[in-house]
Parts: sequence; C-alpha cells; structure tokens
Amino acid sequence: MEKPRRTYRFKRIDTHNRKSIGIIVLVVILLLVPAVVHSPYYIHLLIMVGINAALAMTFIFLLRVGLINLSIAAFWGIGAYASAMLTMRLNLPFWLALPAATIITGIVALIVGLLLCRNSGFGFIIPTLAFASVVVLVFGTFDVFGGYVGIVNIPHPEPIVIPLLPLIEFTSKTPYYYLMLFLVAVVVTAFSAFYSASTGRAWRAIGLSSSLAESLGINLFRYRLTAFIIASAVCGLMGSFYAHYYSALVPITFTPFPKTIYCHIFAILGGIAFPFAGPAVGAFILTLTPEFLRIVGEIEPILTGLLVIVLVLFAPGGILGLLSSRQQVAHPSESIDRIGKWIKASLPTSRTDRENRK
Amino acid sequence: MSSILEVRKLSKYFGGLAAVNQVDLDVVDSEILGLIGPNGAGKTTLFNLISGFFPSTSGKVIFCGRDITNLKAHNTAQLGISRTFQASTLFMKLSALANVFTGCHLGYRTGIWKRVLRMPPALEEENMLKHKAMELLEFMGLASLRDEMAGNLTHGQQRVLGVCVALAANPKLLLLDEPVTGMNPSETLTMVGLIRQIRDDRDITIMLVEHDMKVVMNLCDRIVVLNYGQNIAEGPPAEIRKNKEVIEAYLGKEGAK
Repeated sequence: MEKPRRTYRFKRIDTHNRKSIGIIVLVVILLLVPAVVHSPYYIHLLIMVGINAALAMTFIFLLRVGLINLSIAAFWGIGAYASAMLTMRLNLPFWLALPAATIITGIVALIVGLLLCRNSGFGFIIPTLAFASVVVLVFGTFDVFGGYVGIVNIPHPEPIVIPLLPLIEFTSKTPYYYLMLFLVAVVVTAFSAFYSASTGRAWRAIGLSSSLAESLGINLFRYRLTAFIIASAVCGLMGSFYAHYYSALVPITFTPFPKTIYCHIFAILGGIAFPFAGPAVGAFILTLTPEFLRIVGEIEPILTGLLVIVLVLFAPGGILGLLSSRQQVAHPSESIDRIGKWIKASLPTSRTDRENRK
Repeated sequence: MSSILEVRKLSKYFGGLAAVNQVDLDVVDSEILGLIGPNGAGKTTLFNLISGFFPSTSGKVIFCGRDITNLKAHNTAQLGISRTFQASTLFMKLSALANVFTGCHLGYRTGIWKRVLRMPPALEEENMLKHKAMELLEFMGLASLRDEMAGNLTHGQQRVLGVCVALAANPKLLLLDEPVTGMNPSETLTMVGLIRQIRDDRDITIMLVEHDMKVVMNLCDRIVVLNYGQNIAEGPPAEIRKNKEVIEAYLGKEGAK
C-alpha cells in the first residue's frame, strides 16, 4: 500500500453525536410503549408497523442498487410458509425455524436471482412480478401448503429465558412487540453496516450510473445478486416472525398487489432518501390511518388512496423530505422517475391480472 | 518499444452494419495515441470493444500480453483499462470527493466481512483510499471543489472530474472519449496540460478520441485514422496532416483536389 503524502481532514458524515442521542431516545420510547399502551389492539398495530417498515426497508435497499422489486410480499410469504412447515412438519422449535426460514428464503432468492439479476429495469421488474404470482399460486395449489384455505394453528414461539429477566412466554402481544423491535433492530444494524461499507458505495454507484460503475471494476451481476439475496432474506425473516405471531397463513396475503405495492408506498411516503426512518414513518402512518378511518366504513380505501396522492403530489420527497434538507443531497430522484414510469407501465398489467383472476 | 495493447482484425457488426471492420492497431507503452475520423467512423465503438462494454463479432484484443477479447467491462477495469465517457457520466448526486472515492473500488484489499464489520484494518484502508482520492483531486486541480455535488459543477469541471474518477481505478491504459469537447479555450488548455501530466507523472498510456484537431495534433505522439470502421492511416501528426486518404475522408474526394 502506498502511503499518502499529505493528511487531509474529512468531515465525519456518518456519525453525528446528535444523531446517536436521538437514536437512544427513540429506542427508550419504543421500549416503554407497552407500559403506556395497554390495548392489545394497538400493540398489534404497532407490531404490523414494524413488519411493514422492515419490508419497506428492503424496497429502498434494492432501489439504491437501481432495482425495483415486486416480489417483496412473495419472499415474505416464502419465509412465513418455510417457518410454518419447519415447525409443524419437522417439529423444529421456533428459535431454530426463524434463522432456517431466513436462510431458505435467501437460497430461493439466490436461485431466482441467478436468472433475474443479469437484467435491470423492466427486465428485472416484470420477472419479479411473474415470480411473485407463481409463488402465490404454488402456496394455493399444493395441499402441502394448505391450499387457498391456508394454514392455521402455527405454534407460538417457545418460552425463552433471558438472564436477569423473568421467563418470557409468548401468550400476550407484548413479548411479540419486543421480539419485533429486536428483529427490526437487527435489520437496521445489518443494513446500515452494509450501507457504510464499500458494498454500500458500490451499490449506490450501480444505482446512480451502472455503466460508470462497471467501468470502475464493479461486477454488476454479483453486486445486484448479493443485494437481492440480502433483501429477500430479510423479507423471509419478517415472514417467519409473522407466521408465528399471526398463527395463520393465507396465500392471498402474499400477493404483489396490494401488499408489495403498499411496501413501496410506505417507503415513498416516508421519504425515499431515508433508508430507515422513511419506511418507519410511512408504515406507521399508513398502517394506522386505515384502522382509524374504518369508522367511515366502505370508503376507507378511497380516503387512504386520496391521502397518498395528496402527500406524493405536495411532498414528492416524502414526509421526512419536507422536514429536512437532506433530500437535496441523497435524493435518488431517478428512482422516483422510474417508479412513475413503472406505475404507468404497470397499469395494464394489473388490470389483466384482475381479469385473469375472475 | 513494446505494445501495451494490440488490436488484431477486430470487427463489430450491428446487424449488417460494420461499425468496426477488421481494425488492426497497436498502442505503444507510455504514448498518447489519438484516434480520429469522421462522425460514425467507429471510434467510440472501438473504445467500447476494448473496454468490454460490447462483445466483438470477430478478432482479438491483447492487453499486456493477455487476451482480453470479450471480457466484461469490470474485468478489463481490474486488469488496468479505465475509460471516460462521451457524455459527462458521473455520479451526479454525489460530491466530487465521493465520486473519486467510489472510483477507488478496486483498491480494497481487506476481506469483505472485515469491511462490513468496520474492523480497524478496513477503516484504515478506507481512510487511505479517501486520501488517495483527495490526492487525485488535487492533482487534477479540483481540490477546492471536493464537497461540491458533481451535478453542480460546470461542464469543464465535470469532464476533468470524469478523468479523475477513471484515474482512481489505477489504470495502466486510459481511454479518453472526447476529453475536451464542449470546453472553452482556456479549459481545453488546462485539460491538455493535465492529460500530458497524467502520462508524464504517472506513466499511464493514453488513447483518446477527439474531434478538436488542434488538440490532437499538439498532444498526440501518434494518430490512427478510422473511416467506415476501417483503419485508413497511422503515423505521427505531421504525416497524418499530409495524408491524402485522410484529407479525402474528412473533406470528400472533391475537397482533396
């Protein structure tokens, strides 16, 4: 290694003191929520917020590599079904099935990715949609997976002992809430480690200009594939948690429309330039509002849709984009253009999809 | 004098069109080779073939004694061929420093897990590469703009930054696609000086495509002329200037008389 001739000083962009204090405060608040909120229904909603946020984070994760993934819900389902199968047919404990389901999802993503990751743009988007549809069909058609009726009575996680704490039994919502927090924290830590290492820079380079990245010696296929596997494995992890939390699975839950699209919307609504806070804020708002709007009954989806349209029209950088100037620096606006183009292009697809189902 | 790059009977067909047709050329160690020719002569296609962006139809490319025909772009970059693009291709949303730092991708030696887990050797290496990026910016005269977003730079600065990013990959051979196009005279002069300095100080062989004849004639040790995908002349600038075929290619048969 050649020694640098001069020493330069660099601004430390990654680590702000203010930021770490903010994170600590946030974690404390999140940990104290069950002490304040006693309604199991709200705790349930918060658990769903956590799952949705993690899924939306995988969307941003791949978007930074320039890939729009329509199989988020499918990989979520693969993780859920894998975990249910492992515990119910092989009698594995949940604590083993959770990592195993994550790895199985990763292996499926590897096989699918070997075919898909050579392309970008529509060559990637449309095949992921096709794959997602096939996954739902497979769950619904084969009796092993319980058909369209689904699987019920998926076992709850076994009680665990953590030193200094009483025995944790998964009988109420609260332990699930903490488990959700733990899993989301793992995802955030893993993603931020990848983002701040050379891998993150290579991924961002591919997302910003794939030909320039390639000319700098970045192997597009390998980096896209790695990102796809990591993102999908995280979907599988959340799927495994969901299966044992919800205790019942129906294939329809894992269709790309609307589940995957909702994951995209969570991220866009929160702010696409914020890989963690964006999905969290978006998922929080969109998971809770439909529930509160339920009072108005049938027209609830219309109001939710209207809310999204208004926010996207007047705050294209997302809600956090409105509050911060950071979008000026890290705003991947090409990605938003791409989403716009993709939404236009996907309209006929979704319509025929619906007709086929009739 | 040994050749760093040998191109042998290289052809590329787009359907029935021969964009590059049986081209033979040699790039000698530490020279500045100019590649000229009328529009559509296949200059950029030849660059794309050498750097691995397109697969060739037939023929061979040999770099440092190694057959690199049809290797992918990231492989040729690993072997030491860097290129710039005709349009200013940069990471527009990143700062100038981040652009060059990203360009240092091939400089990592520590294992991938050490880097992801932020182990001390990896952090040290990262810091070293950041310094290297900063040195390059200084070398190219862009040090004061290091925190400026690439998209906010002037066209001339963007072209210089493009070369700087290409240099970050530690090339032995640098392919410059129209480095001074769209620059004003003083920017052109700076760029010509920089290109010469890259060759003299860093001993990097340079091959460039350019339409600005003054620059090409001044800067290049040797010139290769392409027309309709074929190599029609080769030699030092003084010879090329007088070559009848070259004048014909540029001005037409009537103009040559």
